[in-house]
Parts: sequence; structure tokens; C-alpha cells
Amino acid sequence: MAKQTINVPALARVEGEGGLYIGVEHGEVKEIKVNIYEPPRFFEGFLQGRFYQEVPDITARICGICPVAYQMSSIRALERAFGVTPTAEATALRKLLYYSEWIESHVLHVYMLQGPDLTGHQSAIELAGVAPEVVASALRSKKIGNDLMAAVGGRSVHPVNACVGGWYRWPDQEALKAFLPDLEWGLEHALETVRWAATLDYPDFEVDYEFVALHRDDEYAILDGDLLSSRYGLIQETDFEKHFSEKHVQHSNALHSNSVDGTTYLVGPLARLNLNYDQLSPQAKQAAEEIGLELPLKNPYKGMIARALETVEAYLRCIELIKNYHPEGESAQELLLTAGSGSAASEAPRGTLYHRYQIDDSGLVEYARIVPPTAQNLARMEADLWQLAPKVLELPHEEATLTCEHLLRAYDPCISCATHFLTLTVEEL
Amino acid sequence: MLVVIGLGQSLRADDGVGPKVVEAWAAMYPETAQAPRLDVKLCALPGLALLDFLSGFEMAILVDAVLGGPCIVPGSLLLFNPADLESFSSAAGSAHGWGVAETLKLAETLGRDDIPNQIRVLGIAAAQVDLGLEMSPEVQAAVPAAVEKLQELVAEMIGE
Repeated sequence: MAKQTINVPALARVEGEGGLYIGVEHGEVKEIKVNIYEPPRFFEGFLQGRFYQEVPDITARICGICPVAYQMSSIRALERAFGVTPTAEATALRKLLYYSEWIESHVLHVYMLQGPDLTGHQSAIELAGVAPEVVASALRSKKIGNDLMAAVGGRSVHPVNACVGGWYRWPDQEALKAFLPDLEWGLEHALETVRWAATLDYPDFEVDYEFVALHRDDEYAILDGDLLSSRYGLIQETDFEKHFSEKHVQHSNALHSNSVDGTTYLVGPLARLNLNYDQLSPQAKQAAEEIGLELPLKNPYKGMIARALETVEAYLRCIELIKNYHPEGESAQELLLTAGSGSAASEAPRGTLYHRYQIDDSGLVEYARIVPPTAQNLARMEADLWQLAPKVLELPHEEATLTCEHLLRAYDPCISCATHFLTLTVEEL
Repeated sequence: MLVVIGLGQSLRADDGVGPKVVEAWAAMYPETAQAPRLDVKLCALPGLALLDFLSGFEMAILVDAVLGGPCIVPGSLLLFNPADLESFSSAAGSAHGWGVAETLKLAETLGRDDIPNQIRVLGIAAAQVDLGLEMSPEVQAAVPAAVEKLQELVAEMIGE
């Protein structure tokens, strides 16, 4: 059989649209293309000429799942441009908002997007048919994340309260404290999720990655920090563009990212867990020890376990941040409009999200650069598939296809604002 | 209690028509829109959070752009029930992540009794949902008719 085509017209359970093509000739993989339409490029254009304070709310629209990440990276980059340092209270509240996003995004991925792959179901709807309590609990946990986002950010999907300089207004202290019982429940659920994730049957596949994530010595980095690469060590956050570059590849609308030596690298929960395990809260570490977690985790499918552990960390930090929340004084710093530029990164649920802006002296955006985590991982996804595809070609056609699809889903590609189809084609040339 | 939800992204051209219709209706019929047994919500990309928006209501009207295929003229108004929607679990060709159909199907599978048992969808056929702020002329032109249809539907459901 010299020619064969596998065509899956709709790859479900990814946030958006793209395509996967695998070309096989006489049993040998000749071509692999992950093609994802990448809207942030357009946003960089949209932003030019906009007033700086509109940027957080415009970039938030890049994604319905991780709007906070776009707000946090843009706000921090713009604050750098203006030379403003937010208050400790404003910073703590940003972390609370950000962790609530991690909760809703991670729970969605663990149970609704990747979970069905690992439990042999076509979708979470099918999973709900056989294990309704599992899906119902997941929805409750996700809702806690969304509700907390609404309480802090003003809205549950594209929050609007965060601004350059701080916050438009302080959220009500009592309203946040009222979340504590739900957050305690969520923590227990997250701990159960870790135990459950450890029992799943993951495809046997390991990759020698360069892991990249923000790092801080004093906590599991989410909002800020230095960049840490498993290959190059610490890199200043503002030196991102010196170490990581993007290039066009002919088959994709999205840019592909490379490390400084031209090799691919991985961002996201797996990278963070491997690089920042020591900074996890004691209870999250204990959960990892209980399941016998051995690092480094090199199996991309096991991003599931990393997400589960990060959900534990997120719940723990939300509880701590709410208990310590005592808003005082003005919620936002006054800004003096000056021309300038600034860059910053933060840890979106799917990995490092870098922004850079140049602002003119009337506060209008002259230049914007956004490097989303999915774009950084695209080249890595293809590299993984080059390693995986030869191993799965002998499998029955459907299973081979599913294993490749599952690999992409395990990355949790966030291409939400793109159009409507992700097509998978495996073609025997 | 009835909830009227306008769904869609204003950054995706005709996809923004759902919230636009609901906003225009609330401005034109403020007395109905502010009635005590009625709530009005707008959301861009709720995904599964749609369940949270629906939770606790007995009835719902969803106003959303629909891609009806080549046989449906852009700007056409379509009124249907959730059961008429195809979801990926029923092997539809769409991979829209968690869309309205999938979310409602999931609620049904879970037997969620906090979700309205009476849901009507007012669809406005979209011409295109590419990135951009401008709606197509034919979809823009359909807004007044959609507003009237929505008012009719609301009156019918709250028994006015």
C-alpha cells in the first residue's frame, strides 16, 4: 500500500483551529506539519494607535480560557514602560486572579479535554454518561475558578478590573472571604484529581526537552520572575527576545519559536513542574510524593499530572491570598505619561506568555509584540510528532491517529480565537 | 425566571450579532428587559461557563450567530430548540471546542436540574466570522427584525 490517507475533519477538545498533516512514504514518515492559525499576530496590529489603558482588555480577548494571562503580561510590560511599581497588595491580588484562571483552565483541560483520551471516551459528554459524578465535580471546581475570577476581576470570562497601575477598584474583602469554604472543597477535589491522574494509563513516550518557565526562589512563579531554562539556566525576563526567536515556516500562519541555538523548547505545566518543583507549597509537594512522582517528567502526556498538581498549588495559594487580603488606600498608582518601552512575561496556564510594548508620549501604542505559549510550543509539537509517528505507524490506523491527536491535545493548544476546524490528515504518499 | 443571553464575540464580525441584538432589544424595550422575572446577560466566549449563566433559571433565550450552511441566506432569523443543534458527540463536523450545543448536551447528560428545561435559541445566520469589528451588511440589516422577534419571544415566554 503505497498511498493511504487518514482524515479526521474535526479534532475536538482543543481551543480553536488548526491542522495536522503526516505524510508517510513506504512506511517512513516524510513530512509533518502542525498548522495553526494564530490570531495574536492580528492583535499586534489592532493595538497600534490604541491608548495604553485599553491594551489589557483588548489582549484579554485573545482567549476565552486564559484572558487573565494576557492582562497580566500586558499590564506588567506597560508598567515597566512607565516605570511604575504596583503596590504589594495590588500584586497579591493579581496572583489571586491569575490562580483562579489556572483553576478554571486546568480543570477544564484535565477533565474535559485530555481526560476523555485517557479514559477511553470520545468526549466529556460520553464520560459524563458513565461517570456523571466525576464530570459534575469537575464542573463545580471549574465554576469556583470562574466565580473567583468574577469576584476579583468583575466578570468571569473576560475580567475587566485589572489595569495598568493596579486595579480599577478593590474587590470586597468579605465577598472574597466567602469563597473560603468552596476553596477548601476545591483543594480536596484537586488532591483527589492528583491521585486519579496518577492511576491513568499514559502512552509510553519520553522526550528530551529544553524546559523553559519563569522562576522565583520564593514561590512557584506565575506572575513574574526570571526565565529559567533547563539548558541555559537563568535568563532575565526582559532578555526574552535575545534568547528565544521566532521564524516563519512556509506551511504555517503561526510563527515557530526556537531557542537561541535554533533548537526547540517546551513551555507549560510540565516545564514549570520540572523547573520549579522546589517552590511548590508543602502540601502540593506532599501530594506529589504520595503518588511517587519522579522528576523530571519527560512524557508530554503527563502534563496532566503537572496540571493536577498545579491546581492543588492554585487552590492553596488562593486560600492564603484571600486570608491575607487587606486592601488599603488607592487601588491604582498614578501614572505619568512618558514615551517608553517595556516587556514582561507571566505564566499563562499553557506556559510563558511574553509581551513587549512601545508607547509614545501621549500614551498610544506604537508597537506591540505578543509571544503566546502555544506559538512557542508549535515547533516542539512537530518535533514530538517526528519522534512519535514512526512508533505508531504499526498500530491500527484509528489508534495511530488517536495517539497523534492526543499528543496535540496534551499540549492544550490555546487557539481559541481562531476559526472552527482542526483537521488531521495522515497521508501515505 | 427567564434569562436572555446574547452570545458571541464582537471581534469576530458577524459573531458579535448575538450581544448586539440583545443590547438593541434592551434599549428599545427597557420595560420588558428590566422586568423583575427576567435577567439579561451578554457573553463572548462562555464555553462551559454558559451553564453558570443558565443555572437557576426556569427558561432561557439564547441569541447567537449561526453558521447555517450555503442554503441559508445571511441575516435570516432561525428559531430552534437545543435538540435541533448538532454537537460533536452526535458527530457534527464542528470542533468549536465547547460550544453551545456541547454545553447543553453535557447538562442534559448530567441531569442538571438547575438548568432551564425550556430553552429557545434565536439564531441569526452569519455571512462570515473572520477577525474584524464590522458585521456584514445583511447581518447588520437583520438586527431590527431580530429585536422584534426577541421581544415577541420574551412576551410569549413570560406570558405577557
